[in-house]
Amino acid sequence: MKNEKGNWKYFIIGAIVFVIFIFPLYWMVVTALKTQVEIFQIPTPLWPKDLTFEAFADQMSSSSDTFQGFKNSLIIGCGATIISTILSIPAAYGLARFKFKGRKLLILFFLMTQMLPSTLILTSLYIMFSRMGLLNSYLAPILADATLGIPFSIIILRTYFLSIPKELDEAAKIDGCNSITSFTKIMLPIAKPGVVVAAVFSFVYAWGDLIYGITFITDPTKRPITSSIYNYVQQYQTLWNATMAFGIIAIMPVVLIFIFMQKYIVSGLTNGAVKA
Amino acid sequence: MNKKNHLSVKTGFLFALPAVVYMLVFVGYPMIQNFILSVKNVDVYTFADASKQEFVGLKNYLELFDGEDSILLTAISNTLIFTVMSIFFQFFIGFGLALLFNKKFKGSSFFRGVTMISWLLPVTVAGLLFKFMFASKGGIINQLFMSLHLIDAPLEWLLEPKLAMIAIVVANIWIGIPFNMMLLITGLTTIPEEIYESSKLDGASKLQTLFLITIPMIKPAIMSVLTLGFVYTFKVFDLVWVMTKGGPINATELVSTYAYKLSFDQFQFSKGSAAANILFLILFVVGIFYIKLINDEEEVM
Repeated sequence: MKNEKGNWKYFIIGAIVFVIFIFPLYWMVVTALKTQVEIFQIPTPLWPKDLTFEAFADQMSSSSDTFQGFKNSLIIGCGATIISTILSIPAAYGLARFKFKGRKLLILFFLMTQMLPSTLILTSLYIMFSRMGLLNSYLAPILADATLGIPFSIIILRTYFLSIPKELDEAAKIDGCNSITSFTKIMLPIAKPGVVVAAVFSFVYAWGDLIYGITFITDPTKRPITSSIYNYVQQYQTLWNATMAFGIIAIMPVVLIFIFMQKYIVSGLTNGAVKA
Repeated sequence: MNKKNHLSVKTGFLFALPAVVYMLVFVGYPMIQNFILSVKNVDVYTFADASKQEFVGLKNYLELFDGEDSILLTAISNTLIFTVMSIFFQFFIGFGLALLFNKKFKGSSFFRGVTMISWLLPVTVAGLLFKFMFASKGGIINQLFMSLHLIDAPLEWLLEPKLAMIAIVVANIWIGIPFNMMLLITGLTTIPEEIYESSKLDGASKLQTLFLITIPMIKPAIMSVLTLGFVYTFKVFDLVWVMTKGGPINATELVSTYAYKLSFDQFQFSKGSAAANILFLILFVVGIFYIKLINDEEEVM
C-alpha cells in the first residue's frame, strides 16, 4: 500500500519533468501551425486558434530549398555513414581481438580524436579541399563528417567485440577459419546490433553537422539541411512559423531513428562514453 | 609460438590500418597543417600566393593575447563561464533525474526515454528553437515571465550581453541534460540492491545513503560525466553561432566562434589557426585527465 503511494509521487514528478522537457518541441510544432499574426499576439495562444498548414505547405513546395536540403543531407549523411562504418568495423575488431604493440596507443588516438574541436582542422581541411577542387561538392562534408563517426564507432564496436567470448574464435579456428573468415562469418553477424548503433550515430552526427556544411559548401543547391535552415533564418528573420516548419522537417529523420531505435541508442551512448 | 604471435600482431594492426590512415589524412595531417599555418602569415592577401607566405614565429599567438583588437581573453573567459554554468546545472539536474528515473514507477522508462531526444536533435534546430523562445517579440519566455509578474516589459534576451549569455546557457543545458542523466543512470544500475537494503537495516537516512553510498559508488561515472562534459561544452560552436553569433558586442563570443570568425569572416587564416590551437591545448589537458581517469578505473586496454 505504502509503495503504491510512493509510486504516484514519483509518477507526478516524472510527468512534470516530462512536460517541462518536451515543451520546446511542443512549442516548435504549435508555432509551425500558427499564423504570423497569432505568433506575435500578446498573449500568444498556447494552441493555434486559427490552425493552418500553410507554413508546412510552403516548405514542401517545389520552389523552396527545404526538400533540396533534405536530399543533400541524406546523401552527405549516408556517405559519411558508409565510410565510417566500413572503416570502423575491422578497426574495432583488430583492437578488441589482437594483442599487438601500439594497440593501446591507437585506442588513445581514437579517444583523443573524439574530443577535438572542429575548428582545429577546419581551416586546413578547407585549404586541402580547395586545392583538390572538392569545395561545393558533397564529398567535402562527407569526408569531414566521417571523422566524427569513426572514433565513436570504433569505441562502441570494440566493446561489442570484447563482449563476444574468445572461445567462439577458437572454435572457428578449429573448424578451419582463418582470421578473416572467422571475422566475416562468426564475428560480424554477432556484432550486428553494435554495427547498427555505430551506423546510426555516424548518421546522426553527419546529419547534425553545421560547421563543415556552411564552410565547404556555398552553393545553395548543394547545402545540407542544417546549413539551409541557418541561411533561411538569416533571410527571413522573424518568419517563425515557416522556420519552425522547416525545423520540424529537418529533425524528422532523427526523431524517427529515435522512436524506432531508442534502446540501441541508449546502449550506444553509455557504452561509448563510460566504458571506452 | 613466436611465429603465431608475430602473425597476430600483423593481422590486428592490418585490421585497424585503414581507419588509422583515414584519420591521419583527415585529422592528423590537418592538425599539423594547422600548426604550421599558425606560425605563418596567411591571410586574404597571401592566401593564393605561396611565395608571399612566410614564417612569423609566435607573432599570431602574441597578437591574440596582446593585440588591441584581439578579444581572445574575453573569448576564453566567456567560454569558461559558459562551460562552468552549463555543466553545473546539467550535472545537478541530470543527477536528480537519474535518481528519479532509476526508480521503477509507472511511466518511468517512457518519461526517461522521451527526455533523451533533446540530445539527438541537430543543434542548429535546437538553437533556432531557443532563439525563437527567447525572442523579445513573440517569445514565450518573456510572455511567461510577464504573466508571472516577474518582469513588467519584455526583455531583450539576445541583445543584452548578460542575458544573451544566460540564454545560450539555458539552451545548452536543455541539450546536455540527457547525456548527464544517462551516464549517471548507468552508474547507478551498477550499485547492488543489497547495499541499499543493508544500509536501510542499519537505519541510515535517505541523505546519508545518498552521500555515503550512492555518490562514492558512482564516482567513476561522475568524473566521466564532468570531464567529458567539460570537453564537449568547451568546444561548442553551432549553438552559439545560430543563437547569437558571438554577440552582442562579443558577450557570447567563445574561442570556437572567435577562431571561426578570424578564419572565415576576416580571412586571417593564420590567426584563426592560432586561436583554434589555443582551444585545442586547453581541451588536450582536460582530455589527458579523462583518459588517465578511465585508464585507472578499469583495465580494459
